[in-house]
This record gives sequence, C-alpha cells and structure tokens, in this order.
Amino acid sequence: MQSHPQARSRNMLLAVAGVLLLLWTILTIIPLYWMLVGSLQDSAASASFRPAMIPEALSLAPYERFFAKTAAWRWLFNSLLVSSVLTVTNVFFASLAGYAFAKLKFPGSNAIFWILLSTMMIPAQVTLIPLYILMVNTLQLQDTYTAIILPTAVSVGNIFLMKQYMSSLPTSLIHAARIDACGEFRIFWRVILPLAKPGLAVLAIFTFVASWNEFFWPFLITSSTDMRTIQVGLASFVFAESTDFGAMMAGATIGALPMMILFFSLQRYFLQGITIGAVKG
Amino acid sequence: MQTTASPKRAPSGSGRFWREYGWAYLFILAPVLLFLVFTLYPVASAFVMSFQQYQVMGSTWIGFDNYKHMIGDDVFWKSIRNTVVFTIATVPVNILITFVLAYLIFQMKNKAQTFFKATLYLPAVASGVTISVVWLAIFDPTDSGLLNRFLGLLGIDPVIWLGQSSTALFSLILMNWLGSHGAGIILYLASMGGVPKSLYEAADIDHASGWTKFARITWPLLKPTTLYLLVTGIITSFQVFISVYLMTQGGPNFATTTIAYLIYQTAFQFYEFGLASAQSFVLALLIIIVSVLQFKAFSSDVEY
Amino acid sequence: MARVEFRNVRKEFQDHSKESFTAVAGSDFVINDKEFVVFVGPSGCGKTTSLRMIAGLEHQTSGDILIGDRVVNNLHPKDRDIAMVFQDYALYPHMTIRDNLSFGLKNLKKPKEYIDQKVKEAASILDMEPMLGRKPRELSGGQRQRVALGRAIVRDPQVFLFDEPLSNLDAKLRVQMRVELSELHKRLGATIVYVTHDQVEAMTLGERIVVMNRGIIQQIANPTELYAKPRNMFVAGFIGSPPMNFIDASIEGGRVVVEGGSFELPEAKLAALAPYAGRKLILGIRPEDIHGEDYAPGLETSPHRMDTHIQVVEHLGSENLLYFHIGSRLVTAKVHPETRAYPGLDKPFIFDMRKVHFFDPDSEQRIEM
Repeated sequence: MQSHPQARSRNMLLAVAGVLLLLWTILTIIPLYWMLVGSLQDSAASASFRPAMIPEALSLAPYERFFAKTAAWRWLFNSLLVSSVLTVTNVFFASLAGYAFAKLKFPGSNAIFWILLSTMMIPAQVTLIPLYILMVNTLQLQDTYTAIILPTAVSVGNIFLMKQYMSSLPTSLIHAARIDACGEFRIFWRVILPLAKPGLAVLAIFTFVASWNEFFWPFLITSSTDMRTIQVGLASFVFAESTDFGAMMAGATIGALPMMILFFSLQRYFLQGITIGAVKG
Repeated sequence: MQTTASPKRAPSGSGRFWREYGWAYLFILAPVLLFLVFTLYPVASAFVMSFQQYQVMGSTWIGFDNYKHMIGDDVFWKSIRNTVVFTIATVPVNILITFVLAYLIFQMKNKAQTFFKATLYLPAVASGVTISVVWLAIFDPTDSGLLNRFLGLLGIDPVIWLGQSSTALFSLILMNWLGSHGAGIILYLASMGGVPKSLYEAADIDHASGWTKFARITWPLLKPTTLYLLVTGIITSFQVFISVYLMTQGGPNFATTTIAYLIYQTAFQFYEFGLASAQSFVLALLIIIVSVLQFKAFSSDVEY
Repeated sequence: MARVEFRNVRKEFQDHSKESFTAVAGSDFVINDKEFVVFVGPSGCGKTTSLRMIAGLEHQTSGDILIGDRVVNNLHPKDRDIAMVFQDYALYPHMTIRDNLSFGLKNLKKPKEYIDQKVKEAASILDMEPMLGRKPRELSGGQRQRVALGRAIVRDPQVFLFDEPLSNLDAKLRVQMRVELSELHKRLGATIVYVTHDQVEAMTLGERIVVMNRGIIQQIANPTELYAKPRNMFVAGFIGSPPMNFIDASIEGGRVVVEGGSFELPEAKLAALAPYAGRKLILGIRPEDIHGEDYAPGLETSPHRMDTHIQVVEHLGSENLLYFHIGSRLVTAKVHPETRAYPGLDKPFIFDMRKVHFFDPDSEQRIEM
C-alpha cells in the first residue's frame, strides 16, 4: 500500500518538471517567434508603429522591402552554391581520408593524423590574417567563389568524425573485396561509401548548415555586393537600414528559414547526429 | 639482359611500397595539401608576422615590439578581461541550465523527449547573424523593445541595454543564457541513457536516497560529457565575435571588446597585421592551455 | 599443380610501442594439390596470419610463399588464383546475393554470360537459387554461410582459403556444414586450406593437420597419427577431448612409478626409457584409455591397475567422465556408462599401457618407443 503515495508524488514531480520545461522552451523560442511576427507586420505603415506579440494584421511588405533594397536573391544563390560545393567536397574528401586513416595501414598514418588533429586547437583568428593576405595579395582571388570555398573545402574535424565512423565498419569486408579483385578506390566507392551512408548523411547535413551560417570568412574575402552570402548580406543590410524593423526581421527570417525547414524535415538526423564523434559518456 | 631479381618474382622495393601504400597516400592527399596551404603555412606566416611591421611591399622586422605594444595597451587587457568575464559568466551557467533541462527531459516519455529536444535545439540552426539581428531588436533601447516592454509590465523604466557600458556586456551574456542548449541536452541525454539501470537497482537495494543516487551515480558517470561541454564551451566563448560585431562593435567604451573582436579590429580596420598576429597568438595560447588541461582531465578519467 | 608452399616464412608485427611481435616464426611446409589441410591452434598461434599471407592480405616479413609453381610474395590477392571464406562471412550488406556472388567476376571484367553461368552453377550446388534476389540481412546464419561459400566457388580458384567459417553457426548447423564441406571438397577437387581453433573440426575435416602454437608449427600429420603419436605435450593436450592426462612419473626397477602406484612395462618400452632411469618424466594417457575394473573389454586380466578415489562423476549419456587424483594431478577417465561410479567410491582402474605416451619433462617432446 506504500506505492500509492509514492506514485502520486512522482506524478506531481513529473508535472512540475513538465511545466518548468515548457516555460524554458517558450523562453528559448520567443526570439524566433518575435522575429517571425516582426517580419510579418508592416513597420513602415505609420510613424508610431509598435510591433505586437499577437499581430492584428499580417503583411508581406517587410519582405518586399528587404528584397527590393538588397541583392538577397543573389545572396541566397551564393549561399546555396557555396554550401552545396562545401558539402560535397567535405563529405567526399573527409570520408576518403577518414577511411584511409581508419582502415588502411601506411607508414606515418598515425603521425600525420595527429599533426592534423592537433592543429584543431589553433583558433581561426591566427590563420585568418595570413589566409587573407594569401588570397587577396598573392593569389588575387578576392571576391571569388574559389576564395570563399577553398580554405574550408575539407575540415580536419570532419576527417576526425569520419575516421571514428569508418573504424566501426567491418574490416573483413575490405579484405573480401580485395580478394574479389576490387581496386582500392573501387572498394571505397562501391563497398565503404554505401555502408557509411548514415554517417555521410549526418556529415552532409551539419556541413551544409555550418557553411550556410558561416559569416566571418565570406565577410572578409568578399567586397562586392554581388558576391556576398546571405549572412554577410544580411549583416550589411542591418548596418545600412537599422531603422526598418520589419525589413530587418524579414532579412533575419530569410537567413534562417532554409535551415529551419531543413531541420524540421531531417530532424532525426540532426538529433542523432550530434552524438556522433562527441564524447562517449 | 640484366636482372637483379629472380624473374619469377613480382617487382619489389619501392615499386612494392607504392603499390601497397600509394592508394592510402592518394586518399589523404587533398586534405593534406589543403592543410599545408591553408593551415600550416598561415600559422607559420602569422608567427613570423607577429615579429614584423607588415607592409604589402616587404615587412620590416621589429622583434618583440608588437608583443610589447600589446602588453602596454589598455584595450588589450580590457579585451582579455571582457572575454574572461563573458566566459566565466556564460559557460558554467549554460552547463547548469543544460544539465537541469536534460535531467528534466530524461524523466519524460519518449514523445515528449523528442519534442523538447527538437524545440530546444531549433535556435541552434539559425545563424549567428540572424540571432544577433533578432536580439538587437529585443534589446531595443526604446520602450518598443521586447525586453523593455517586459520591464514596463513590472513598472521598470526602459534600459539602454547595449548602449551603456554598465549593461552592454551583461546583455550579451543574457542573450547567451537564453540561447540554444539543444546540443548539450542531447549529449547529456545520450549519456544518461547509457547509465546501466542495474546501477540504480543496486543502489535501491542498498536503500540509497535520490540525492545519493544522483551524487554517486548520475553525476560521476556524466562527468566526461560535462568536461566536454565545458571545454567546447570555453573555446567557443573565447572566440565570440558575431554578436559583438553586429550588436555593439565592441563598445561602448570598449565594454564589449573581446579578444576576437580586437584582433578583427586591429587587422581589418587598422590593418596592423603584425600586431593582430601577436594578439591572435595570445588567444591561441589560452585555447591550447584549456585543450591540454581537458586532455589531462580526460586521460586521468580513463585511468580509474 | 595448385600446391601451396611456405619456405621459411616469418611474419612480425610492429605495435604502437614499436615492439615487434612474431606471429609466424619461420614456417616450412607443403600443401599438396587437391589436399584439405587444416591449420589449428589456440588464438594467437599464427594460423590466421598464415592463411592471410597465402591470400595476400598480409605480407610476410621474410621467406617465400609459392602457389602452384609461382612465388607469390608480391602478388596482389586477385592475382593469386585463390578465394577466401571469412569468419563473419563478410557479405556486402548493401548488395543482393546475386551481386555478392558476381562482384568478383565483374571486377575481373568477365563476360556477362560467363558470370551468369557461374552464379547459376554455384547457386545450384549450394541450393540457393531462391535467395539470389535477397539481401544478406534477410538470410539466416546458415544461409549466409552458403553465400560466402558460393562467392568463393564462382571464382573457380586453385586454392580455397577458409578462416574459421563455421564458428558463428550453432552446434547443430556446424555438424551439418562440416559434412557438406567435406563433400564439396571432393566435388570441386580443389586445394583447401582451412583455419580453425576447434580441434574436433580439424580432426573431422582435415586430410592433414598443421598444429601451431605461438607462431611455431608443432606437428604436421594426418588425424590418426596426430592422435596416436603426438610429437609433444602441446599437441597431445590440444588434440582430443577431454585432453590427455599428464602424470608425473619415474622409472624404477623396470616399473613406471607414479604417486600412489606403479605399473609394469613391456621390455621394448623399457629399453626406450632406459636413459630416463632415476629421472622424472611425464606419463600421458588419454581419458578413454583408462577403464573401470568392471567394464574393460579385452583388458579384464590386465595387471595395470591402480586404486583410486572417485571425486566427481559427469554423466554424458554415451559415456561418463570420472575425476580422481593421482598425487596432485586431477585425472579424467572417460568410461562406459555401465561402469559403476559415484563420488566417494574407492575403485581400481585399469590403465591401457599399450596406449600410454611418455614425454621429456624439460623439452616436452615425445619419447619415441
């Protein structure tokens, strides 16, 4: 008969936990909500306009103004192009190198891997200045897609993730393929890649999102309006038009919406992918 | 006809070496080349540059002048202070928030877990620029700013959040607290799910209290995750830039100038590449120290 | 034609601490054409490494490996005319069974008709036509095993290499597959090299058996000889289940003396043991060569008896295992179930001295007689 009060107090605790969680969740979501409702109210309608939490009338005017005043379509295209190319290069080269480090024995493999890995500690700020000089002065690549893409074409972090992932694939398959007269690249392409699909998907998604959201390097290396990515363009717009609340919120929404849609459609990969490569608890 | 090897044998020596290992080297070639050009060379170059007065047409060697200048610069020390204050104020609090949220979510049923995980993660997919722009509006100093409206409900006058040095840094900290803790929550949940149930059952048999179970089982077993979040959190917050750049430009009166922002200013507003390189090595040193400490903590963890 | 030969083959591995570990220490042997040879030994004995060196998946540190008349030291696996069956089957999980079977032939750029023909043949040999369209995960363990076999068969190799292929199957299926493998060997007429740690599998399958331990070949012999004349204590203890009993003994006045008793020995054997007079040696006797006094067909009048005190009795149905001590050594006897036995019973046992072995206690080598 003791379990009754215990079960009741446990239910009470659960309810309190649920309410606390809900409150914090609302707090976390409010900025995004504020952005969305702000972008759908015409702040230019009257001088005394104050955005409302629950708008009386919705308007797309802020979006029209944002697109009219900026090269946002071009920026979106640039972001899409840059992120797509970076996703392909990162997934391909990181999985290829990760496979080599995980499964192929070759002299120096450990040393090379640790040298690569140890430089992950060096913050971007150290390399950015020489990189900027290299790209702008030496290679004369300022304001090109090549300059935006090349330095992050394959990141060491991604190689590390793929090495971890590839290590879990059975080595006997590689041996079987060798006996089956399969060439080394064909083993990677026909046997390893199909097996690594879940890992590749996670890597692709996270690379795409990170590239889309990247600000600093594209900001440094682009100078013309037409070469900006959406993040860089949005930042420049905010400096230029800080009084147009609605358009600012519309721009912010445009910058984030594609990734949010991606998140909702591929939620499972996002939520599972985070634990890949992180600590084993 | 001269042959050194027996004719029946396949080629040996260097031919065999490349046949056996060539593919592996080819597979890592692209990343290694990119690494040499875009990481190793820049690091070396930055190091050299930190002892130079940079000029496009040939730099001049000035020894430790950049470092001396940096040490004598009040703004540099202020940026260190700001960065450290920001880090200390955000990272531990964020870990606490993350842990509590994860612990609460862990008590929920599966569907509720997924809902909370997804919703709390959502802000993390929005870019730093978007988040900064939105918070710029939330911190609007007039009474139409979201935060000031809220204070208005409590009868408090509007605050010039970002525009005065007494509240600017705190505003950035507040924004960080209310950011996404989704990734950390998911890592904690994964670790919590990995704690064997038998441990708790054994503790129940030993009549352990809820607190004892938490302090002796849950928390110690989650220590690696906590350490990981601590280190990644510190490294990230050492490099905080976008929100400073977009919301305060380091002001007012350098109240929000972080090291990363100072480096940016020195390099790309004043074009003092040498001095900026010197500053960046200080940042690198701080980060390396944290990373090494983490490595030590982790390896000592593995030992027992 | 497709013989396999090792000439002083060594294999050393370097681990991370740069210490080298000798996996195979100078192996010499010849496997004849169409022979079924089993490598057997405990884990880490070098049997799998030897097999993988034949396959070309590992390269020897020194020495020569020949397949047929060719030195294959530097040849890629695909050029060695071999096929291999792996312990975990190593089927490509994303390919259908048909693609699994044909993958190797496609890589070798064989014509499509040839490939189809080969796949069809292998499928009919192994009764797996209905599975060709399925993926490996839809198959049971035994079926996967067949596919792995089939993948080797389609290659039509000179030499088949098997790496513990039955160890993932349950006991019943293992027995069935053993029979099938023997039949397959006859049917294909190919050379087979088979690795296992299971001595029963080795004895039932191998025409000749290579017993290895710590990288060194202990004995190469056919099953009968291996059982009857183990060259040293390792082989004696490894082959046979339960393992051979080893009892400390000495020769005194023409008798073998063990703790608690002694046995008379025939003249011929005594002569061979003469150099050991007054010294210690080890007497080896298999559990099946110790009989209860009341059930010892053909040995009823044997004088080689010893009183013992039974400690444990294990009933296996077809036979019983009895445990008793001779000195400090626990001795096992495998006796007919009609032998009267229960724990605590004092009972004389008959030792079949015709089948007793002697070993030098220092070199652990068999004393030939």
